[in-house]
Amino acid sequence: MALDFTFTEEQEFFRQTVRDVVNRLIMPRVKELDEKEEFPWDLWREFASLGYLGIRHEEKYGGMALDTISQMIFYEELARGSCGFAMSVIMQVLMGTYFIARFGNEEIKQRILVPAIKGEKIGTICFTEDQSGSDLAGTRTLATKVPGGWRINGRKQWITNGPIADFTTVMATVDPKLGLKGLNFFLVEKKTSERDGFVVGQRLHKIGSRCSVTSELIYDNVFIPEENFLGEEIGKGVQYAAEILNEVRVMTAMNALAIAKNAMDDAREYAKNRIAFGNPISKYQLIREKFAKYWAWYEASWNYAYKCAWMIQNKIPCTNECMLAKYFATEMCMYAVEEAMRIYGGNAFSTEYPPQRYWRDAKFLLYGGGTHEVLCDYLGRVFLKD
Amino acid sequence: MEIFVLVKQVPDPEAMIKVKSDSELDIENRYFTNFFDEIAIEAAIRMKEKFGGKVTVLTVDNHRVDALRRGISMGADEAIQITDPLLEEANPFAISRAIASYLKDKPFDLILAGRQAMDDDAGIVGPAVAELLEIPHVNAIVSLEIDPQKKEALVRREVEEGKEIIACSLPALFTCQKGLCSPRIPQVLNVMKAMKAQIKKLDIKSLGLNPNEILGLKDIIKIKNYISPPKRPPVKMIKEDFPENVKILVKLLREEAKVI
Amino acid sequence: MENEIWVFAEEYDGKVRRVAFELLSASAKFSKKIGAKVSSILLGNKLSEAIKSLTPFSDKIYVLDDPILSPYTSEAFILNLSNLIKKHRPYLLLGGVSSTTKDLFPRLAMNLKTSYAPECTSVEISEDGELLVRRPIFGGKVFSELKFSEARPIMITIRNHTFSVDESLNKSAEIFSIEALKDSTISRKKVIGIEKVKGERVDISEAEIVVAAGRGIKGPENFKIIEELADVLNASVGTTRAVVDEGWRDQRDQIGKSGKNISAKLYMAFGISGAVHHTLGIGTCKTIVAVDIDPNALIFNYADYGIVGDLFKIVPALKDELRKVVSSG
Repeated sequence: MALDFTFTEEQEFFRQTVRDVVNRLIMPRVKELDEKEEFPWDLWREFASLGYLGIRHEEKYGGMALDTISQMIFYEELARGSCGFAMSVIMQVLMGTYFIARFGNEEIKQRILVPAIKGEKIGTICFTEDQSGSDLAGTRTLATKVPGGWRINGRKQWITNGPIADFTTVMATVDPKLGLKGLNFFLVEKKTSERDGFVVGQRLHKIGSRCSVTSELIYDNVFIPEENFLGEEIGKGVQYAAEILNEVRVMTAMNALAIAKNAMDDAREYAKNRIAFGNPISKYQLIREKFAKYWAWYEASWNYAYKCAWMIQNKIPCTNECMLAKYFATEMCMYAVEEAMRIYGGNAFSTEYPPQRYWRDAKFLLYGGGTHEVLCDYLGRVFLKD
Repeated sequence: MEIFVLVKQVPDPEAMIKVKSDSELDIENRYFTNFFDEIAIEAAIRMKEKFGGKVTVLTVDNHRVDALRRGISMGADEAIQITDPLLEEANPFAISRAIASYLKDKPFDLILAGRQAMDDDAGIVGPAVAELLEIPHVNAIVSLEIDPQKKEALVRREVEEGKEIIACSLPALFTCQKGLCSPRIPQVLNVMKAMKAQIKKLDIKSLGLNPNEILGLKDIIKIKNYISPPKRPPVKMIKEDFPENVKILVKLLREEAKVI
Repeated sequence: MENEIWVFAEEYDGKVRRVAFELLSASAKFSKKIGAKVSSILLGNKLSEAIKSLTPFSDKIYVLDDPILSPYTSEAFILNLSNLIKKHRPYLLLGGVSSTTKDLFPRLAMNLKTSYAPECTSVEISEDGELLVRRPIFGGKVFSELKFSEARPIMITIRNHTFSVDESLNKSAEIFSIEALKDSTISRKKVIGIEKVKGERVDISEAEIVVAAGRGIKGPENFKIIEELADVLNASVGTTRAVVDEGWRDQRDQIGKSGKNISAKLYMAFGISGAVHHTLGIGTCKTIVAVDIDPNALIFNYADYGIVGDLFKIVPALKDELRKVVSSG
C-alpha cells in the first residue's frame, strides 16, 4: 500500500519536541533578536548543548544523525521561531560542515567537525562573490597549486556567520577559463598568529534575519596545506555541490513555509479581531479570498516540499523536483507576507506589528539556492526538452 | 530509588475545542504533555540523578503516548501504556483503578503526578490512586526533599494561608504544582532515544482486573452532555477621555454592575 | 427519599471559611425542593466559635472536635468522615474549592466508591427534584453536564461566590458531637509547620474582588499603585504568567491555566493583553474590567467594561474615585 501521507509517530514526537524548544527558548525573544542585529551567543550555546547541531553527523563525531524528513522538520520548526537564528544554525548543521564531514581527513574532522558539532567552532560555506551569485562559473576566487598545498586569493560576499566563523568551505577556481569544471572546495580557517587564514571584511547589514551576522570574507594569498583540499578529484566541485543542493533547496522551502504560516496565522487572528465598518474584517470577501488562496498554495507547497524530502531520503533522483519545491514554496511565501502586510492595513507599517518582520525575513528566500529567474530559465528549458 | 510518574497527554491550551453535538467534542489535533505532569517527570529525574534508581512513566490512553515519549526524552527509563477499549472515555475512578492494579505489586518508593490534568481539570487520579494503594499522599507540592535512608520525604504544599510543611513516610504519592521545579529541555540524543523507545502495553486482562469492576466505576459519574460556555455580552468600551472615563467606570460598577 | 445534604464546613483558625455559608444558603433552597435536612460537617479543634457561626445556617451540625483533626491531614479526616458517611449516607456532600478539599475529596470519593464532581460552577435542583451539575473542562472552553449513579453521597465542590450568603437564615441547629476516631498505625504524615505568606490579603482564589496587572506594569516596583487600589477595595492582587516568570511576583498570585482560577465578583485587569492562558482563569468572574494601552488587546474580548489608556494614569485616578464612593457607603 503506497501513498502514505503521514509522518511516523516518532517524527511527530520530534516535531513536538523541537516546537517546544523553540517556544521556550526563541519565542520570548523574537523582537529582540530582530532589533539588535547581534549574534545570540547564549541561544547558540543552548542549542549546541541540546545536541541539535549534530543532527546530520555520525555519532562518532558527537552527532546524532536523523533521517532527512526529521531534519526538514527541524528546519521548519526552527524557522517558525526565528529566521535569522535558523540561518546561522542551518549553516552550521548543513552547508558549513557537509564537506568537512565528507572529504576531510581524520585530523581535520577531529580538529574542526567535533568542536563544530559542540558549537565551539563556527563554520560557513562561501560561494557568492561581488560579480557572481547563481552564476557559479563567474567565480574569481583563485586556488593556485603551490608546493605542499594551495594559495587562495579572493573575496567572498554575503557570508552567513562570516564575522564569527572559525572555518570556511570556500569554493574557488583553479582556472577561470575552465568555467564550471574549474571549481573546487577548500577548507580555509580563520587567520591566527599561528596559522594563515581568511580575515573578516566588511559587515553587511541586512533588512531581515538580522541576528544572523553576515559579512565579506577576504582570502589574501592564504596558504593551506594539501589536506585542506575537500574532494577526491580536482574539477569536481560542482558535482560535489550538487550532493547537497537538493537538501539546501528543500530546506529553503521549509523556511518559506514557516514564515508564510507565521504571517498568515498572525493575520488570521488580526482579521478576526480588527473591527472596520462595524464588523471584524474577516467577514469581508476580499479579505477571505486572501486566506483561501494562501491556504490552497500553502497546502500544496508544504506537501510537495515534504514529498521532495521523502524522495531525498529514499535516494530517488529529484533535482528538478527540489528546485520546483523551493520555487513554489518561496513564491507562495512572497504572496503570504505581502497579503499579511495588506491585511494589517496601516498597522503593517509599524514595527510594533509582526508582518513587516516576516516580509523582511522572507525576501532572502528569493536568492538562497538560486534566484527564481535563473531557476525558471533552467526549469523551463528542462520542461520543454524533447 | 524506584519512582513512577503518572502522565497524560492533553490538548494544547491553544487547541481549538468546540461542542460538535450534545455528546461530541471537536478537538483540534494538537496534544502535548500535561503541563503539571512535566513538572512531575522533572522532579522524578532529579531524584534519580541525586540518589540513583529508575524512573518509569505510566499513562492510561488508547490513542496517544506523547507524554511517555516526552518522559523518556527527559530521562525516564521505562514507559508503560495501559490501553483497553473498556477504558475508552473512562472517568478518573476507573482510570485510578487500572493504574493501582498495575502498581500494587511493584516495589516503588515514590509516585509523582501532576496536580491536575488540563483536559478534565479534575485532580482526582493522584489522590485516588494513593487511596487504592493505601499510601499517604500530599496534593500540590511546591518543594520536595527525600531521605532515602530514613524512607522519609519533606514537602511543602500550597495552602490559602501560605505553605504548609509536611513530613511524610515513603512510599508515598505526591501531586506536583507549578513552582516545584522547571522541566528541562530534552537533549536531542534523548529525544532520539525516546523516538525509538519500546513502550510496554498492558490491557485490563493482563492487569488481572475484572471488566465488571471497571464498568461499575465508569458508571459512578459520566458526562451527560457538553455545552458551549455562556457568551458574555460584548464589552462596553468607555470612550471618554481621561479623567472622565474613570468617573464613568466607577459609576457603572456601582449602579449598573452593582459590584461596589 | 433523600435524607440529608451535607456541607463540609472548612475551618481555619477557629473560623469557618465563607464558602460554607454560601453552600448552606444554597442547600437551604435545595432542601425546600427535595425535603432534605441541611447539615454542617465540622472537623477540627477548639470549634465553639465555629459552631456558633454555623448554627443559624444549619438544621444539624455534626462536630468532631479533637486535636488530631487540626491541622488537616487526609488520614484523620478520611478515617472519620468515611465512618460518619457510611453511617448516614447523605444525598450530597458539598464543599468549597480549597487546598483542603482538593487534597481530601478525591481520596474520600475513591474510599467510598462514590462520585465526585470538582470545581463546579453550577448546581441546581430542578422542579422534579433532579440534580443538575455543570463544570468547566478544557480550562473553561467547554462545559460538561454530569450524570450520577446511585452511589451516595454525591460529592461536589463548588467555586467560591457561585452562591450568595442568605443572611436571613435563622435556624437553630441540632448539634451532634462525635468522638474522633484515631488510628496511630496510619499516621504516616505529620504537619510540621506553616510558612505564612506575608500580608493580610485573602488568597485570590477566594477573594471577592481581584485587581491584577500584567506585563504592562513594566516592573515589580510599580505594583505599588495596584496594591494601593486593592487597599481601597479590600481586594486581593493577582497577576499573569508573564510577570511570575519574570520573577516580579510570586507564583501564588498567578491567574490562569497553570495558576489559579478566580471567581471574583469584580476582576480588574491592568496592562494584561489577554492571552488565552490567562483568560481561562477568569471566565467565571461576574464583572470584568480591562484597562490596556493597546486597543486591539485580546482582553477586551473577555471584559464587560474596557478602557483604552495608560494604566499609570488610570489606576491612581481610579483609586481616588473609588475612595470617594466606597467611603460614602
